[in-house]
Amino acid sequence: MSLCTQTRFAAALADPAVAVPPGLTAWNGLQPQRRFAVYRNNVVVGLTGAIASRFPAAQTIVGEAFFSAMAAEFIRVHPPRSPLLLSYGDDFADFVERFEPANDIAYLPDVIRLEAARGKAYHAADVAPLDAAKLAALPPERLADLVFVPHPSLSILRSPHPLVTIWAMNAGEAELRSIEDWTAEDAMVARPHMTVEVRRMPPGGAVFLQALASGERLATAVEHAIENASAFDLSANLAGALQTGAFIAFH
Amino acid sequence: MKNSIATLALAGSLASALATIAAPAAFAAENNEKCYGVAMKGQNDCAAGKHDCAGKSTMDFDKGSFKLVPAGTCTSMKTPDGHGMLMPA
Repeated sequence: MSLCTQTRFAAALADPAVAVPPGLTAWNGLQPQRRFAVYRNNVVVGLTGAIASRFPAAQTIVGEAFFSAMAAEFIRVHPPRSPLLLSYGDDFADFVERFEPANDIAYLPDVIRLEAARGKAYHAADVAPLDAAKLAALPPERLADLVFVPHPSLSILRSPHPLVTIWAMNAGEAELRSIEDWTAEDAMVARPHMTVEVRRMPPGGAVFLQALASGERLATAVEHAIENASAFDLSANLAGALQTGAFIAFH
Repeated sequence: MKNSIATLALAGSLASALATIAAPAAFAAENNEKCYGVAMKGQNDCAAGKHDCAGKSTMDFDKGSFKLVPAGTCTSMKTPDGHGMLMPA
């Protein structure tokens, strides 16, 4: 197939308004239009299924009908660029942010970002997290200059919405109920062993981890965290980072 | 002077952080292994290639899908299609 033929075929596949490419024949002599319509439908249904399986909490929030319609529009505008469906939908959150019918649900894009981070963590390389005992053996004067290596599965998300609570309620991790205390929540996602974990960050925690993950010294990361939240608890945050396997090494 | 105070604070925080995670209840190291060929359809944890992924297996005892099981128990599991395997087939 020439590149021109392929391009025309793909364009017609993505947009039902475009005429079926000339020269198509059906094996049983029936109209190629109908066979092509089946193909078109399979493409959309298959990709909608891929998106839905990556973002189940988002689907629960808006319902199946709304989600499918939103996904179909996404698929039309952002067809896959890679045969690997596991990364398809990485830009779904940005699309939903600009998708007018979903504007009322201001927290939806962040829920989708959290689910995308979970998928990324799921497929990230298996690496054993940092053994805390190695830190205990360090002389105290080295601590301030420590630089940590983040786990390949680590993501940190900051949200102006109660992101982790909303996600947990719609992912079946917590009971559904009205949220009395509508506050900002930051999240950390990592997969230290076999299971993807989502944690709600304590005050300053996201800034602290973000600084460390971007290669800042421990002392600098602590300064950033305290600037961000005066209630920052270094001990609790270090314990949390070590327990959730946020890092794999230090130097 | 400022540096040594900062060092003391860091060392103190690290010490109490290490004490927190050394507590046995908090330290739940996972001790599972991936076991292929034992999951019923739709009950798999994950596997690359044929589907995407957890709970998407469409065959009972699919040798390409795994279930997390306690380490050391996989190969002793018997299914109608043979024993569990540590590697996909």
